[in-house]
Amino acid sequence: MKKICLAILAALTMWSWSAMAAIDAQKAEDFVKDLTQQGIEQLINSNASEAEKQARFTKLFNEDLDLDFIGKFVLGRYWRTATPKQRADFIDVYRKLNIQTWSARFNEFKGKRFEFLGSESSKSADQVFVNTQVPMPEGAPASVKWRVKETGGKYRIVDIIIENVSLAQTARSEYTGYIQKSPEGVNGLIKDLRAKLK
Amino acid sequence: MKKILTTLCIAALYSTLNISSACAAENEDSALESYNRAMFNFNTKVDDYVVKPVAKGYRAITTDFIRERVRNFFANLKEPASMVNHGLQGNFADSGKSLGRFAVNTTLGLLGTFDVAGGWGLKRNKTGLDATLAKWCVPDGPFIVLPLLGPSTPRHTVGLAGDALADPTYWADYYASFGKDWERYSFYYGLTALGFVSLREANLDMLDNLTSTSVDVYGTIKSAFLQNRLKLNVCATQDGQPASYDFDFDDEDAFED
Repeated sequence: MKKICLAILAALTMWSWSAMAAIDAQKAEDFVKDLTQQGIEQLINSNASEAEKQARFTKLFNEDLDLDFIGKFVLGRYWRTATPKQRADFIDVYRKLNIQTWSARFNEFKGKRFEFLGSESSKSADQVFVNTQVPMPEGAPASVKWRVKETGGKYRIVDIIIENVSLAQTARSEYTGYIQKSPEGVNGLIKDLRAKLK
Repeated sequence: MKKILTTLCIAALYSTLNISSACAAENEDSALESYNRAMFNFNTKVDDYVVKPVAKGYRAITTDFIRERVRNFFANLKEPASMVNHGLQGNFADSGKSLGRFAVNTTLGLLGTFDVAGGWGLKRNKTGLDATLAKWCVPDGPFIVLPLLGPSTPRHTVGLAGDALADPTYWADYYASFGKDWERYSFYYGLTALGFVSLREANLDMLDNLTSTSVDVYGTIKSAFLQNRLKLNVCATQDGQPASYDFDFDDEDAFED
């Protein structure tokens, strides 16, 4: 009897321990709801000027996307050997390029809305996938999964998976493959990415 | 030595992630890669000088309304392939829906240009031979770039060919031009070309955006194409295994060529 009690106690402690360590899926979902509704849907459909939209989008992007975390991942094994200046330069140009790309592409979501389909756990305890879909005028709805990470109570997006295609993984394949072939390595990548900025 | 290390890394990746063939596909053979890049450059040239200008011209002379009719028309021609393949995958209800959609949209929907069945709740649910083969656990094979048709894999290519055989206009043309060899398929080829232009038009903005921000368009398209296909590989991702996008952010070697 004592043994069973101990086992139950141990199980309960472990359960509550893991529950404490893991990210709160409901809060993550609320965070993405806030982001898509107030951030994206209202921003796109508002009557604000293009410059105003751009400024609001940039703010949203910087606050809600953990680009330092993503940038480290997309540089792969080259992150470790990169100098602090290379790291900072890369994150900077990667951030600008993403803002440029996404402020152009979010217009594709004009008039569309995100439907929330619950969440999906990740192997990483501090992360969770929030599943959404966007109904399309023709054909099946597009699947959009938001990978949310919690850092000290703050929720941020670390990856967006559209139709099974992870943006972080695609960027990593592109950049690491590029560095491998570039004679100038990481500096070559930073230089060529800067050339892509408008 | 590097080769051995790479092999070990791939083996480790296999055993930990268990994505099997799909993951290996991102690490491509160097001879195959040089062929692929050459073919990709050729396709890009054809696109720059012919396909893209034609697609832009098509956009300039048509309205949204017309383009949607055209897209619907081509989507409707794929319903027979969906019907057969839903059946081959054992989804008989979906197979019946595809048949119903084809019957309703071809007649009431004026040759498929209007999605009448969609309005009745029979939503489009496309599938094809590629998805069937994936369900039967046929491996995908390496990434290959086809002339004009672009990114593919061996299984994807077989799927394209099989689905083309289920296209009703192919058979309509075959019988309509019976005995007149010289004009056989000319109608079908014309339609296929229009379908190609319609598809290119729908992707103009997306591809322009991609080429303006990517430092390696080939690498980006290859990675995205292969990731998108992983959702078909139901055999490789059984229950209890992490999804392909649930990678570890601390894994330094994942997804690198």
